[in-house]
Amino acid sequence: MTESVPGPPKDPAAKAELDRAFEELYRAHLRDVYSYSYYRVGNHHDAEDLTEQAFLQAYRHFDRARRESDGRPLRPWLIRIAHNLAANYHRDRSRRPEANIEAIEPPSHPHDTEQIVAGREELRAVIRRLDDLSEERRDALIMRFALDMSNREIARALGKSDGATKVLIHRAIRQLEELIEAESEPQEGSADG
Amino acid sequence: MAEREGKMDLEALLGDALRPIEPPERLSGRVENTLSAITEQAAADLQSWATELSDSELESLRDPRNWVRPVAAIAVGGAAAAGLAVVVAARNRRRRPGGIAAVAEHALRDLRRS
Repeated sequence: MTESVPGPPKDPAAKAELDRAFEELYRAHLRDVYSYSYYRVGNHHDAEDLTEQAFLQAYRHFDRARRESDGRPLRPWLIRIAHNLAANYHRDRSRRPEANIEAIEPPSHPHDTEQIVAGREELRAVIRRLDDLSEERRDALIMRFALDMSNREIARALGKSDGATKVLIHRAIRQLEELIEAESEPQEGSADG
Repeated sequence: MAEREGKMDLEALLGDALRPIEPPERLSGRVENTLSAITEQAAADLQSWATELSDSELESLRDPRNWVRPVAAIAVGGAAAAGLAVVVAARNRRRRPGGIAAVAEHALRDLRRS
């Protein structure tokens, strides 16, 4: 049976060029894929595994992706791979308590995030409330704010139209705002009473 | 300080809360090693395969339809069994593949695993 499995190019020079291009892609977006994975799974160990799997899958299909991208940036494609892997990760673990975004412990971040987040309860509240959003809304916000992706990039990563993505992000921010307001209101009332 | 004053403030908070996370240095090495192992394994397998071919087999190799699938199979198998790639590569180095049959068997085994 013949299957259309993508493979490396036949010509060694083309293969070397492809490897160079992939290395460039990898170096440029390792942090993006890792950040996305981390915010999706909530711990460094699984984020590392997910990142490695994402790049292995990307390598496997890189030649074709590059041809079909027609010169457009490949970051949305990479993040889409990570997105699908994260979905599988959560599906596989559905029988156990999910390692969701709420499990993120900012102080354990190895770099400057630690100083920025530690002690800022309002940031923790934002992260906590993110977990109350739908997966799609949460994903869109992670892509926008952690990865600084444009609406168009997010649209491509999520397989949606630009317009639908704009609405999605707008609604996600509005819902988050409402959730944070709702969380803080009873506390103000109880402080007076 | 941003406090419930509207969308812009929340966006600023989100920007602070969701900062990019630097990957640990060991991750770069880990991914690079795995990718290297995959490409080296594929190259080694193909090399040993090519050296053991007869003239007619070599002739048929010039037709890409005859070798895209085995190459793809090795790549796919290698990618899917990424964790095993290093072990398999080391094993192959110790025990030279027994010609085209061994390579085909190896590729099929990997495909079945993937």
